[in-house]
Amino acid sequence: MRQETREYNFDWMLWSSFSLASQLAGGTEKEYRNVLKYIPYFRGAIEKLLDTGEPGRRFIGITASYLDNIINARERGKKTAMTTFCFSPALMYAMDVVPVGLEVMTVMMTLIYRRGTAEFLDFCNEAGFTETSCSSQRGALGGYIGGIGAPIDMVVTDTPGVCDTNANAFAFASAYMKIPFFSLDMPPDLTGSRSDRFHRDDYRALIAFLEEQTGKKLDMDRLREVLLEVQKQDVIIADLEELARIIPNPLPPVFNFMIYASRFLYAGMPECTGLLESMRSAALVNAEKGVSGLAGGRENLRALFCYIDHYSQNLDLWRMFDEYGITTQGNILSRSWAACAPHVKEFGTEEAAYTLDPGGLDALIDSMAMMNARMPMVKSIRGPYDAPDMWLQDNLSLAAMYSADLIVYNGTPGCRNTWGMVKLMARDTEEAGYPTYIMYADAFDERVQSWETTKERFLEFLNVRRLMR
Amino acid sequence: MKAAGCDVGSLTSKAVIMDEERILGSVIIKSRARPWESADEVMDRALEKANCTMEELSFIVGTGYGRDKIPFVNEAVSEIACHGKGAKWLVPSVRTVIDIGGQDCKAIRLDEQGNMIKFITNDKCASGTGRFLEVMAKVLGVGLEELGRLAERSGNPITLASACTVWAQADIIQHLNDMVSLEDISAGISNAMAARVSVLAKSVGVEGDVCMTGGVAKNSGVVKALEKYLGVRIKRVRREDPQIAGAIGAALFAMEKAKEGAA
Amino acid sequence: MNPVFTEVTEAQYNRYVKEWKEQGKPVAGYTCSFVPEEVFHAAGILPFRIRGFSARETTIGDTYFGPFICSLPKCMLQCAGQGDLRFLDGTVIVPGCDSMRRLDECWRKAGVDIEGILPEFFFHFSVPHKHTDYTVRWFAEEIQRLIAAVENHFGVHIGEEDLRKSIKVYNRTRELVTEFEMLRTRDDPACTGAEALSVLLAGTAMPREEYNALLEEYIAEAGNAPGISGKTRLLLGGSASDDIELVKLVEGTDALVVADNLCFGSRFYEGRVGEEGNPIEQLALRYLGQNLCPRMYGDYDRRLSLLLERAAKAKVQGVILQNIRFCDLHGSENGLLEREFESRGIPCMRIEREYGPLVETGRLKMRIDAFQERIQQGKVRV
Repeated sequence: MRQETREYNFDWMLWSSFSLASQLAGGTEKEYRNVLKYIPYFRGAIEKLLDTGEPGRRFIGITASYLDNIINARERGKKTAMTTFCFSPALMYAMDVVPVGLEVMTVMMTLIYRRGTAEFLDFCNEAGFTETSCSSQRGALGGYIGGIGAPIDMVVTDTPGVCDTNANAFAFASAYMKIPFFSLDMPPDLTGSRSDRFHRDDYRALIAFLEEQTGKKLDMDRLREVLLEVQKQDVIIADLEELARIIPNPLPPVFNFMIYASRFLYAGMPECTGLLESMRSAALVNAEKGVSGLAGGRENLRALFCYIDHYSQNLDLWRMFDEYGITTQGNILSRSWAACAPHVKEFGTEEAAYTLDPGGLDALIDSMAMMNARMPMVKSIRGPYDAPDMWLQDNLSLAAMYSADLIVYNGTPGCRNTWGMVKLMARDTEEAGYPTYIMYADAFDERVQSWETTKERFLEFLNVRRLMR
Repeated sequence: MKAAGCDVGSLTSKAVIMDEERILGSVIIKSRARPWESADEVMDRALEKANCTMEELSFIVGTGYGRDKIPFVNEAVSEIACHGKGAKWLVPSVRTVIDIGGQDCKAIRLDEQGNMIKFITNDKCASGTGRFLEVMAKVLGVGLEELGRLAERSGNPITLASACTVWAQADIIQHLNDMVSLEDISAGISNAMAARVSVLAKSVGVEGDVCMTGGVAKNSGVVKALEKYLGVRIKRVRREDPQIAGAIGAALFAMEKAKEGAA
Repeated sequence: MNPVFTEVTEAQYNRYVKEWKEQGKPVAGYTCSFVPEEVFHAAGILPFRIRGFSARETTIGDTYFGPFICSLPKCMLQCAGQGDLRFLDGTVIVPGCDSMRRLDECWRKAGVDIEGILPEFFFHFSVPHKHTDYTVRWFAEEIQRLIAAVENHFGVHIGEEDLRKSIKVYNRTRELVTEFEMLRTRDDPACTGAEALSVLLAGTAMPREEYNALLEEYIAEAGNAPGISGKTRLLLGGSASDDIELVKLVEGTDALVVADNLCFGSRFYEGRVGEEGNPIEQLALRYLGQNLCPRMYGDYDRRLSLLLERAAKAKVQGVILQNIRFCDLHGSENGLLEREFESRGIPCMRIEREYGPLVETGRLKMRIDAFQERIQQGKVRV
């Protein structure tokens, strides 16, 4: 890491960028245009978000406030927990712990900094962490183990059994920084009484761990409040998913990114509900008019991303969507597995979904356990890809229901889990009639394959398969 | 007393003939397919240059990939030890040596006496090695030395895939198509290389005076980029060609052995 | 050393397996050290640890697995695909790590394309990633599920008494390996590290009673014979390695691997299964609690202290920690461990490599030589 990189804490720098950006929409159009000239590497992302109007403003705002919580946690007497995107932060909010999501912080950096997280990725290798590990954690992790981030009190993850490189990154962080570690474990079976009991026991152990670390008992009323908010959010997300079924899809492509990002940041908090509501209102306006949410207004192609998106600087992926009239019919991150989600109802897979029971303490904890066991990725890629309720079944049913024209896989070379089965999955989805494209890029590290090359190869696939209308 | 070091590398072979602390002759040639053929040729030419014969040499140390296949050496020593030794002789105050050769890259930390404390080598692929630069220069249609000079004139270096030589090539072609200047591409290449090498160097710890050996030490673009990434000034090797550091180290080992034998 | 140890480890369908099959008895393969072999032994089935050493390329492995996957499961699939494992009547796949767990689907899919390579009994055995009361309970239930599946498929009955007897046989091996390890760590070790790995590997590829007898015989002989002295003493740790050639490469002419922490090596025989109480619970306790693999997240401190203890006991002068490329679990832990060893003045080197037959010998040798020079230099200085 260069000396100049060490001058300021990186999470403080992120906060500074986002909090200033959150004020951009407050000025006149002329002022706004003028500022854009000075932020060439942030400009694309800002424009793409603010073009959506209120949802974009809110999104930048909650990102800034999430970062504000992290950098000021100590002053406010709160503990911080390094955690992962597929771990519901709702419990942490209920227990006054500030979640520090490594992957979301990595994405924030890749979106707005010219070099992305390159130096942090590399710093991890200098510290002994393997360079083949997933770049999603490695990015922000480098900042924290390099000592240029807010102090971290503990590490909490839920990916053993789901994603080794993820779990391993957190285990490494704990051993390197010598701070307490807790992980929820995930058996390969999602449903059934054995798995249910395991998830519940495990979640109780997590609560005991957090109680021990914070010195505070879990407050049932607080938990219920958070859970009721999650319930509201699930309903709005279900509405948004229902809207995405319409042809043309009335959701601007970047909404998909905002849906999951806001859940990762603020699930169970009113900030997230407000943002989701504003997205729903905007999408409803388009739906009533029968128009597409794409910037160009014309829908050429509907793509289901079966894994994650590509987070190059300036939200290039979403700019490409708008440029070529491609709608995003969701990805593994945006999909909700609440019982109210349209795909759960459509295919009658309630057992593989979760329902929230705000009754007594036990019911609350059980609900949280079930919900956490159905977080993105945690739900779909734990067992064999072709087992019931797993990746293949999800992809095929979602592609059909959301009228996808093709399926796209993008991940990172660090994703041992999906790279172990994606060829088989693609073979099955192709057989089922869905052209399936596997991107060999790294969603978080453009040095592996530049965005330009990634885009060119993707467009070439669309051409060769005659998918562009 | 005369001794020699013979370093048979993947791309080039080097030989150095020494008389005590003085270099009588040194030669660099392109390696042939068989290590012993390279060794014979480079040694013959070095002897010719030094104006002496094989029989006059008290001891010969071989190093490099082909070190076990050189028939005339008395002993083989790893090139890591040789580069450390050679660097110490070239820059006496050195404590961290970064050697970038044809297809590998090493970082070696030395103690005050020049003993090896810790080392690391790249174990992946061609990225961060001379081969990487060679391939990139070819794509740009410029010579290796030109690549370094071009990089120094850049105002806006491109960001390049540093992980893979093959993918980086594809990216460069893309940038060429986009009419990006050769200067900016060259600087991007130097940066990618330097980033890669600095990670390696930092994982053994960069301490004290740093110097670079190996063929890539002659590429000013990479050296400057590396200074930026490491945040330290790299001491330039002026006493001899940095590419023969390994062979010098081998010759120094040979000299020690010769003296041990004589004593 | 009795050449039978090497012979058994160098052929997939070795003499003992062949004899076993000729008696009409089944063989069950397994891919990970978390599978309680006692279950198969109790059922009269030969447990056989699957290795990938007979692969000479990974064309089949690469067809199903993606590019960024460990070469060990790729080589295992290659062996299965090229017919080397056709003698298996069953296979247990363990989600030991992400690369290994997808061997399940990849093997099944390859079985669709290549006839006869998929054993009829194909079982996905789930192993938790931490050691606590409810994970042990899960694991015990999983053993029960395995027992039921084996009983059902092979038409056998596995009673508590059968399990107890098998546990005794396997514990006997564990005792013998402890004695064997003492011969390795004495001042003049009884054998080279390469020989030791052969001895340890043989136990996974032949009937256990016969192995115990061979091992007992070896210990008796080697205990009285003069050992090897004057070599640099090394500990070899890191990810799964059954590669005897790699150990030979590490040892060269001047060094000796006197201790290891390999899952194909001495770690495989770690601990004991309790002989009192419910045998299934006892199996669960040993297999989940005493297998120090980095897949057990959050247990780094225990693994570190064990390794330090082992290094001290074996009086090693250097430590080599290797990992197969894309093995992030061992790779990252090696990074942590390296600091610990170096900070205690024990030279340590990390190596990343491909699995067995794919190892790049030339590059590794250069580094190993330099590492040994470093140790030698240190000795001179001291």
